[in-house]
Amino acid sequence: MQDSFQIKAEDWHSFLLDLSGDNTVYVPVKTFKNLDYKIFTKEIENIVYNVAKPVTPLKNFFLPVKENVFNEKKNNNKQIIIGIPSCDLKALEILDEIYLDNRYPDPFYKDRRKRSVLIGNDCFKISDHCHCNSYGIEPYPVEHADASLSQIDNTIIVSINTEKGKELLNQASAKYQVQEPQAEILKIVQERRNEIKKQLTVINKTLPDYKTTGELIKKSDDDIWIKHSRTCVSCGACAVICPTCTCFLLIDRPDFEKVRQVDACQYPGFERIAAGEDPLHKRFVRFRNRYLCKYVWKPESFNSIACTGCGRCIESCIGNISKNEIFIEMNTAAQP
Amino acid sequence: MPSDTNIYKPIKAKVERVIDESPLIKSFVLVPEHDFSFKTGEFIELSINGYGEAPFTPSSSPLDKKKIEVTVMKAGYVTEKIHALKPGEVVGVRGPFGRGYPVDKFYGKEVVILGGGCGFAPIRSLLYNLIAEKEKFEKVILCYGSKTPEDCIYKPFVNELRKVERFEVYRSVDKADGSWNEREGVVTVLLDDINMNISNSVAIVCGPPVMMKYGTLKLLEMGYPETDIYLSMEKNMSCGLGKCGHCMMGKYYVCKDGPVFTFDEIKDQPDIWL
Repeated sequence: MQDSFQIKAEDWHSFLLDLSGDNTVYVPVKTFKNLDYKIFTKEIENIVYNVAKPVTPLKNFFLPVKENVFNEKKNNNKQIIIGIPSCDLKALEILDEIYLDNRYPDPFYKDRRKRSVLIGNDCFKISDHCHCNSYGIEPYPVEHADASLSQIDNTIIVSINTEKGKELLNQASAKYQVQEPQAEILKIVQERRNEIKKQLTVINKTLPDYKTTGELIKKSDDDIWIKHSRTCVSCGACAVICPTCTCFLLIDRPDFEKVRQVDACQYPGFERIAAGEDPLHKRFVRFRNRYLCKYVWKPESFNSIACTGCGRCIESCIGNISKNEIFIEMNTAAQP
Repeated sequence: MPSDTNIYKPIKAKVERVIDESPLIKSFVLVPEHDFSFKTGEFIELSINGYGEAPFTPSSSPLDKKKIEVTVMKAGYVTEKIHALKPGEVVGVRGPFGRGYPVDKFYGKEVVILGGGCGFAPIRSLLYNLIAEKEKFEKVILCYGSKTPEDCIYKPFVNELRKVERFEVYRSVDKADGSWNEREGVVTVLLDDINMNISNSVAIVCGPPVMMKYGTLKLLEMGYPETDIYLSMEKNMSCGLGKCGHCMMGKYYVCKDGPVFTFDEIKDQPDIWL
């Protein structure tokens, strides 16, 4: 399905207001230094599309930081998430493989996936550590979004990709003035895409691709990990903010209730067993574990990639550790 | 609303009996609120209400759908709470999870079982299964080791096992006392005593990590192919569903892909002996 229209920005936001009655509509909002999703209301200001990227990864809409997984609450409320960058959409592949596997599909994840309408957007502005292109991902939505949008001045171009997207967005064309996208606006979108791709290529020219990174990690010795983990404080921010890291802790509550809470292999004791043995006891081993998981082990067991190049782990690291610097260093050392 | 069965919700089970096996090990006979089926080698998550949950491979017969027995060594904070359980108390059970022993692959073969300490638990369940189909195996040899004679568990079961046709039992303790008239030494010494046709044999190992390691090395040295050594791995299985990540062993989620693996499957993964 390929359908698209253009609509004036103020009409689009009136449409979102209509939707926000029965649904929860999330939009990307600029606050102080960051961009993040906020629930759309009439008063909301500073909505910014086409900028990479909301602080919150998409996974949190399906896997909340903490949730009671014992009580099944009825909720038919649709969540419409607008402004998703393509790195986060790509990350859905591995999340779906883990949480919707045939043997143990997770009912909570499944329910939220079903109740969500995903509207992706182009990245016309990237941040310092964006590197989706290095892993074969385009800086605009290609798959997994029900629709996607690009804003050029006061015009919003919406492309519809699925029945779900069509059902929702047909409501806009019924009430507001929409038209087929003008050729000159589509041309601007294309130019901006090309420009961003060029920028990504320049800033990541020495970064090895996903597969090569896996090979480099496999061959690496301890020294490089010891060196780069020196400032790691095991805070787990890299894993918590990662769109593909989904490890969790199950906490027991009275009446046999279970609470699922975000966890990270970077926290000491993550793999410790009752007798006390802990394969991840050493900090550099723990630090390396996350990269082995992403670039070596997950690709062996799953069909999806486990890093989509969003760069959030680099931006969130209070120890100023850049995984990309590690991989560039390894790659440079491996050159003849 | 989630429409599928809630994979995180335990069923309730009543503690029927508590058996003191050794100073550190107790067995608990549990009666689940409804019939419970598992294949030998698969595991369950046992929860203490409001306190915590831990993985155990049942030590009872997979043919018994009414009761589950687990054998627990006091090692961490959940097992300490389990040890305090009294008959009549209620626990939570989730599962069964994972991949157990592929018993049908053992048909027509000699089955050599190497067990140590509390690692006898999954093995006893397997032995119940093998006894039920005993005519399908050439013979079954159990080699079991523990630290001292008083640490040997399942004494009545071992006595019964010695009487079963085609089954042989060998035991050793690291440190013997006057009461002990079997072997002294680490469990692998028992492998020197037994007669088996390695080319038509499979080996099963379950015990503490160090014993699993040296047991496997000895079996390899004896000529067992890597594909015929079955190991029941111990990791921090938490969700049991291949999702939470706590039991990852390289590319495997031990809870979903294991806990039973052949040595061939896991030999290249990190920290298999912890």
